[in-house]
Amino acid sequence: MAAPARNLDDTLAALADPTRRRVVDLLRERPRRAGELADAFRVSPPAMSRHLRVLRTRGLVEEERADPAADARVRVYRLRPEPFRDLQAWLEHVEGFWNEQLGAFKAHAERTRRGRRR
Amino acid sequence: MIAPDQVRAITTVAVDPETAFQVFTDEVDLWWKRGPAYRFGRGRDGRLRFEPHVGGRLMEVFDEAGGDVFEVGRVRVWERGARLVFEFRALAFVPGEITEVEVRFQAVDGGTRVTLEHRGWGALRADHPARHGLEGEAFGSMMGLWWAGLLQSLGQRARR
Repeated sequence: MAAPARNLDDTLAALADPTRRRVVDLLRERPRRAGELADAFRVSPPAMSRHLRVLRTRGLVEEERADPAADARVRVYRLRPEPFRDLQAWLEHVEGFWNEQLGAFKAHAERTRRGRRR
Repeated sequence: MIAPDQVRAITTVAVDPETAFQVFTDEVDLWWKRGPAYRFGRGRDGRLRFEPHVGGRLMEVFDEAGGDVFEVGRVRVWERGARLVFEFRALAFVPGEITEVEVRFQAVDGGTRVTLEHRGWGALRADHPARHGLEGEAFGSMMGLWWAGLLQSLGQRARR
């Protein structure tokens, strides 16, 4: 079987943590500031920033300035759709793999066992 | 796709379930497609074989005498004519990551419906702290629902 993109592993690894999954849930609603996320989980800002770093280095979220006119230090996090699209493409690949295999199985079974159906 | 860590493929074959099970297992080498996209030998095709019992291996044998064998996984369930579950350790997955394939054989009008589910790459290893004490199915379904919701919402967003 062909190997999935290396970043599929990154996506799954980043989402292997329950806090990070909940961060993704919140970011699905809208972009949020790091402080807002830390408050939502009652975790310390350094702990939240470690989680956000994992999500960012693995490409699941990106950081941007909240408002060009506002304080440059205020940054928000938002989800990047690409890793989730890659995951979906991989699933479609696996599905195609098994559809082809079952097709080959059916052809072989019916060719070699003709007339033995119930 | 039925959940993001699971895929399903279905076919109906014009033989009875006993025969379908037998062909699926005993004759796996005859029907399993050949070539690097389907087999495990990185370009060389060996002979695929199930050891027909729980704990037995699904393996691709290149040179049995020389011990040149790739173990795809162990058989977890072996119910002749009904259900087969085996581990699936494709080269494509990260080392040590074991996924699972379940194949069900159900008698239907005109033959057997064969339902294959491959799952587990989105799940976590049993000893992973993120499991929070949830075991087996409870954990699997929780993750499945979470993934499904996630991909659905992101998919909708991407289409907009």
